[in-house]
Amino acid sequence: MYRYDEFDHAFVSARVAQFRDQVERRLSGEIAEDAFRPLRLMNGVYLQLHAYMLRVAIPYGTLNAKQMRMLAHIARKYDRGYGHFTTRQNIQYNWPKLSDTPDILTDLASVEMHAIQTSGNCIRNVTADHFAGAAADEAADPRPYAEILRQWSSVHPEFSFLPRKFKIAVTGSEHDRAAIQVHDIGLQLKKNDKGELGFAVWVGGGQGRTPLLAKKIRDFLPEEDLLSYTTAIVRVYNLHGRRDNKYKARIKILVHETGVEELTRQIEAEFVHLKDGELKLPDQDIAAITNYFAPPALPERPEGWANLAAWKKADEGFARWVQQNVHPHKNPDYASVTISLKPIGGIPGDATDSQMDLVADLAEEYAFDEIRISHEQNIIFPHVAIADLEPLYRALQPAGLGTANAGLITDIIACPGLDYCALANARSIPVAQELSTRFGSAERQAEIGELKIKISGCINACGHHHVGHIGLLGVEKKGAELYQITLGGSADENSSIGEIIGRGFEPEKVTDAVETVVNTYLAIRTHASERFIDTYRRVGPQPFKDALYGPSSKAA
Amino acid sequence: MTKIWKETGFVENDAWALPVEGEALPEGARPILALGEFLEQMEASNEGGFGVLIAPADDVTKLAPYLERLALVALAFPAFNDGRAFSHASLLRSRLGYEGEVRAVGDVLIDQIPLMIRCGIDSFAVKNPTALKRLAENRLPGIDLHTQPAFKSAETGQRYSWRRKAS
Repeated sequence: MYRYDEFDHAFVSARVAQFRDQVERRLSGEIAEDAFRPLRLMNGVYLQLHAYMLRVAIPYGTLNAKQMRMLAHIARKYDRGYGHFTTRQNIQYNWPKLSDTPDILTDLASVEMHAIQTSGNCIRNVTADHFAGAAADEAADPRPYAEILRQWSSVHPEFSFLPRKFKIAVTGSEHDRAAIQVHDIGLQLKKNDKGELGFAVWVGGGQGRTPLLAKKIRDFLPEEDLLSYTTAIVRVYNLHGRRDNKYKARIKILVHETGVEELTRQIEAEFVHLKDGELKLPDQDIAAITNYFAPPALPERPEGWANLAAWKKADEGFARWVQQNVHPHKNPDYASVTISLKPIGGIPGDATDSQMDLVADLAEEYAFDEIRISHEQNIIFPHVAIADLEPLYRALQPAGLGTANAGLITDIIACPGLDYCALANARSIPVAQELSTRFGSAERQAEIGELKIKISGCINACGHHHVGHIGLLGVEKKGAELYQITLGGSADENSSIGEIIGRGFEPEKVTDAVETVVNTYLAIRTHASERFIDTYRRVGPQPFKDALYGPSSKAA
Repeated sequence: MTKIWKETGFVENDAWALPVEGEALPEGARPILALGEFLEQMEASNEGGFGVLIAPADDVTKLAPYLERLALVALAFPAFNDGRAFSHASLLRSRLGYEGEVRAVGDVLIDQIPLMIRCGIDSFAVKNPTALKRLAENRLPGIDLHTQPAFKSAETGQRYSWRRKAS
């Protein structure tokens, strides 16, 4: 993984000192809250319902054991003993004191971490495929490019006050695990006919109030042009993105209102001026950054396969875990493992300090000191020998980290909702917990198969409900919470935005409603391997509407 | 009370003034024209020494034919979080090659000034009390290491091509 050099250390220290000065001015009253707000946001500090919240960057979700231990330490020392992993592969703490935040940032800097641009109207933490560097199906590791983008976008003098937040995701595979089509810029790393690396460039995806899928504006951008082309896109957005209405300020609206052809013309016209300038990436710089991401030397461990069969036979729970939570690796003796942060009935994405410490220990013991956070709010060990799967599972299980549900109905994405968030209209966490409990039986989950439920507590869609196979959106109606159900969303290479199925459900009825949807699917699927999303695409919304609202219903 | 600051310190007797509707310019003041009015003047005469105000929605590249006749380009920050003028400054300097004075006017705050300087703004109309105090003490809250090139020259040779160090 990337390691700081002296420049990075000095840069982050200077940024911490700058923020410490800003916090001191705020605490002394020299700076007003409205002027302080964008400054604290650019360093990940939110003011939430009950307290300040600090969001710490985990660039492209990659970290090591030492860093994970620091995240545990911060949870223990400055918070209430836990942290929440987010859909941007970051972690947030819900209870820090504003006056402690500079010290937290100093602690983070000691392990090469920061909170730079985890919020605010600037370029946010760049995300990537959580199996990057390990997946059998990737053209190349996307993380070196995410790291180059991270560096280039940090404290950018021109792009720190954009119309709205700006999110970039990079994937290295045709099969998209980074949800690039719902990002402001989505980059798919690929090879052309000559074997050269470059990017398909997508622009203008996003969720929120107006969910839109990104449009492809370049089929192949040479890798050397990454920063100049990104600059052209962001400059056109900075100059022309709407600033009159924050709900219409994302680049997706600019793409929609300007038209993709005209906007592409503007971007390309800007790019002509930038293409061969200072931002052109020299091969040796790309190579130097790429070197940091070289996979660990993986010794041959062929004994794993024989053991695996025996272990699976002996323990049904382990067999299920292998089935669900183990993903193919480039190296046949190895696998990538999902450590579920979705225990049955638990809070999606939360981890305690002792769980984080355990994960750090196990990463050193079994996973070559490499940890990832997925945008689906789970922890990933990208490189684990098949021969080590059983002892790893044995160690995870007692700590509540061995749930065999990756990709299943209880692997729910949920935002913090009204329990924490100042923007929320409704709670998300209790809904997720109740659904998880309702569908918690291993047999039932296995029967249902792949099904992604995503829950947002307001229209800002932090819980990605628009791209859930089943999405739940919490709204407020006459002072009460109500949950709208959307069906048919997806965030992979076949991305789609879910459709609202009908009128919303009260908190005490929403779990039943989801169960009705699931039972309807089970009754009409052609065979067990037809996933929920496939069935929905085949039959459309009507059978589900009929089941939820009665056959004559035209609810919309 | 607005004061004009440059990296060399506060400027006394600055003659530029933004015309206010219905009010006469102060004695001896030089007007900063709105872009439309400036472009009309360019057609009407061959004089030089003009000042122009670029509002956030203006197209700064329209100045390209007239750079020689400009003495001041003022870039408007109607609110500190309206960042369009950062791109105007970058285009004016890096694309058009304008070498005259570029002034930030409007909601100019201390924490934004280091970024403005990097984009090529070299003069600042400041009224915020904290900003005035910090500037008087010469305490700019900027970072000397940069992870991307910008107009303001800075040292390369920081290992990767995109890095810079304030010189």
